[in-house]
Amino acid sequence: MLDIINLHAKIGDKEILKGINLHIGPGEVHAVMGPNGAGKSTLSDVLTGRPDYEVTEGSILYKGEDLLAKSPEERAWAGLFLSFQYPIEIPGVTITAFMKAAVNAKRKAQGLPELKAGDFLKLMKQKMALVQMKPEFAKREVNVGFSGGEKKRNEIFQMALLEPDLSILDETDSGLDVDALKIVADGVNTLRSPEKSAIIITHYHKLLEYVQPDVVHVLKAGQIVKTGGRELIDAIESQGFDQF
Amino acid sequence: MGHGKYIDPFKAGDSLGLRPRNDNVTPSEASVSHHRVKAGETLNLEYVVLPGESRDIDINIDLIGPGAEAHIKALYLCKADEKVNFRILMHHRAPGCRSTQLINGIAGGEAQVNFGGTIVVAPDAQQTEAYQENHNIVLTETAKVDTRPQLEIYADDVKCSHGATVGQLNADELFYMRSRGVPEAEARTLQMLSFLSPVIPAGREEEIEQVLRSYAE
Repeated sequence: MLDIINLHAKIGDKEILKGINLHIGPGEVHAVMGPNGAGKSTLSDVLTGRPDYEVTEGSILYKGEDLLAKSPEERAWAGLFLSFQYPIEIPGVTITAFMKAAVNAKRKAQGLPELKAGDFLKLMKQKMALVQMKPEFAKREVNVGFSGGEKKRNEIFQMALLEPDLSILDETDSGLDVDALKIVADGVNTLRSPEKSAIIITHYHKLLEYVQPDVVHVLKAGQIVKTGGRELIDAIESQGFDQF
Repeated sequence: MGHGKYIDPFKAGDSLGLRPRNDNVTPSEASVSHHRVKAGETLNLEYVVLPGESRDIDINIDLIGPGAEAHIKALYLCKADEKVNFRILMHHRAPGCRSTQLINGIAGGEAQVNFGGTIVVAPDAQQTEAYQENHNIVLTETAKVDTRPQLEIYADDVKCSHGATVGQLNADELFYMRSRGVPEAEARTLQMLSFLSPVIPAGREEEIEQVLRSYAE
């Protein structure tokens, strides 16, 4: 699904990723844990193609293709999805208008006809129910005036609607209370399948209690310093990141 | 509060640069218009300036009777070397009048846009409500927008505000939409449409959306 080979990336003059290697197979869920400033969000930004970052070395293969050669929207059409740590507010654009544009662009890229308005609304309603979003949110401006929990639920709703093959959840658990965390985690678990993979980026173990990863990586100072199973989560919880 | 001395334009004539009164010309036909709004009347003006049009829009409004209202909505879209000038004088001469102005536009290419808007509240025009906003998005380094809103207030019981902004399309919004698969041109169209939507005249939404679609590409 995803092969990251010796990835170096910088923003401005500052090198943040210093040789990342990561292999994710179909159906696998990987957790990337690390302290603040380790490069976790940079990794997700580089994967999704945020223009601020420059890749100076290394490569990323996604489904066997050069991911870095694709625009952000082409990556989305190919099944990549990032749940933002800080979801962006888009005043004046409703969730319906936004998602209709996103879903239909992806369908067009796949050679499928646009969804009929009625079918689209039905699909949206169904996916919103998955994260317990009230139907009236469909008419609201994207993330404008949403609480922290509502923004994160909106991210997982969009993920459910777009049905990505590789989802990246960047600090999706930050700022969530226990109830919201459970709703989000249930949403993510519903979307798990033998073909779909995910990267869960977090510095906190809580989400990983609900969404169990197959592999755990520790990212520190721009490099993956340790890879293991779930036992790493307990080690981090009891002794922090200094041990690595 | 105002600066200097209040000058009644009807007595001062051309000293404020006012053009002759011309009530018979509708704004769509001529760029210069002078309107006197009487007690209890409401004047609504809408302007749409589309790519390829250079325009001088000169609006003088006198609110001369108690309770008169005037509302201006304008949008402009420039993409080449258009020159668009707005000059608006909103003169509150009677008490209890209300005026609103909202002018939003997008300048690309090498367009030059000037906005000069003045609200004058005469000493007798107590209980005035007057609002003016001019918001601009500049898409290129070669487009120029100059905005100068002014308030001259000679009465003391008034609610007045004015605001002007010149900015760019929000890059975070753009990346967020693209990361969800919305093509860049479509994302820009959505952003521009939302920015202009408060000033799009009723019934022209689809037409403006079409113009924006070709504009964003």
